[in-house]
Amino acid sequence: MGLAVTRPRRIGAQLRRLGALGAVCGLAAWASVAVLLLAIGVLVVRGWGVLDWGFLANPASADPAKAGVGPAFAATLWMGVVAWAAAVPAGVGSAVYLEEYAPKTRWTSLAKSALANLASVPPVVYGVAGLALFVRGLGIGRSLAAGGLTLAVLALPLVVAAARQAIRAVPGDLREAAYGLGATRWQVIRHQVLPAAAPGIVTGSCFAATRAMGEAAPLVVVGAVSFTTFFPLRPEDPLTSLPTRIFDWSARSQPEFAALAAGAALALLVVLLTMNAAATVARARLKRIGR
Amino acid sequence: MTASAPDEAPILSAHGLSVSFGSRAALAEISLDVPRGRIVSVIGPSGCGKTTLLRSFNRMNELVAGARTAGAVRFEGVNLYGKDVDPVDVRRRIGMVFQRATPFHKSVFDNVAFGPRAGGFAGDLHGLVQEALEVTGLWPEVAGDLDGPATNLSAGQQQRLCIARTLAVKPGVLLMDEPTSALDPTATARIESLVDSLRKSHTIVIATHNLQQAARLSDMTAYLDRGELVEYGPTETVFTNPREPRTESYVTGRVL
Repeated sequence: MGLAVTRPRRIGAQLRRLGALGAVCGLAAWASVAVLLLAIGVLVVRGWGVLDWGFLANPASADPAKAGVGPAFAATLWMGVVAWAAAVPAGVGSAVYLEEYAPKTRWTSLAKSALANLASVPPVVYGVAGLALFVRGLGIGRSLAAGGLTLAVLALPLVVAAARQAIRAVPGDLREAAYGLGATRWQVIRHQVLPAAAPGIVTGSCFAATRAMGEAAPLVVVGAVSFTTFFPLRPEDPLTSLPTRIFDWSARSQPEFAALAAGAALALLVVLLTMNAAATVARARLKRIGR
Repeated sequence: MTASAPDEAPILSAHGLSVSFGSRAALAEISLDVPRGRIVSVIGPSGCGKTTLLRSFNRMNELVAGARTAGAVRFEGVNLYGKDVDPVDVRRRIGMVFQRATPFHKSVFDNVAFGPRAGGFAGDLHGLVQEALEVTGLWPEVAGDLDGPATNLSAGQQQRLCIARTLAVKPGVLLMDEPTSALDPTATARIESLVDSLRKSHTIVIATHNLQQAARLSDMTAYLDRGELVEYGPTETVFTNPREPRTESYVTGRVL
């Protein structure tokens, strides 16, 4: 009986304490969601009016009524593809090397921590590196190719981090079972490790590509032009992008351009969220196939 | 060690085998012969080195960082730890079944075909897979759905699949590391009768903490304690008339 009387009281006290903590955490969570929703809401209110097919297709113009994001949109998609295509093989290759092949030496652990730290380098720094490396070093000018490669370098450490995590998560006994059947290291990687890690790698690399596609700062440094009237298709075409277009419009004083900036930001947001959603769906699909 | 037929050389033998992981010694100076076509069980308390001994027979220990092996393991007279011996080749000749069934996230067929494919098998793959599944008694249960995912099988079926997968590589020796410790009694009985049926065609080394299983199945028994081979001889002798008091107290269930 004594227990029955004292216990609920203690649990009640614990619950109250946990309740306060829970309330604080819940408030924090909902506050972040609210801020995000508020930002999207502002974009919708201010930018919805300009969103139409003409806006999405037209090139930039000094006349706000005719201005659109067509070339900038195409350039961002173009550079996203380049960044993804360059960063994924390099990133997955690095991750496979670091996790499966690299001997455990001071140099490898140095390389590992360097790659991990690269993921937190400010994007603008990648712009400076891209300017030196691609624009001047390779001499490919302030072109789409230079922008795409800069975004690839920015995405690389993110891809490496995601791929390493996915590879490490592959159960050790799966590896051992394959080795036990006389598989070589490459066969184990090719037929067991990579398929099992694929969902994580696909999602991680898509997130990395969308992160890169949303960046304005490195492209501004590399030398994005604010005004292109034709659709960029070739690697040597002048560098432009949706984020730098938004940046450019939002810096102008006329309210019409502010609306255009909001509309462009909305378009960018929709594209990136769609890509992330597609990555999540792809992950679920790959997992199901894997099972 | 006198139990191996004197006219035939052992298929597998350890000579002064020591294994350590970092600073921790796991096996100390083990020497024993595995006679051809027999079932040898390795018994002993948890952590005594049963698994390490089995894994040293097909060079699996070196997959663990910090593992060091000294001494020799001879298979058909060849030192498996010799300089020019490829561990991949060793594992194709000395197969292993693990404690936990680990079906690959592939179809039943692809699970069994994995080893032969890895080894570059060029013959009738379907026939080979069917044969391995028939030997393990799994064929009638899975024949209709060879392309179905292996992970849909029951735990006992999965372990038999892993045995079939190992047999498909046609190893000279089969190592089984506590193959039934994660299974219920019915599934355990099926695996035991499978192991019993394999004795005609295979040499098997089985680690087990199930003493009845060791007594029922094996011709020879090795008792390990703290990395040391305490006793090795015919199973009947080890269980009924052991030479060492430590063996006797273990097999009779007395704790020292």
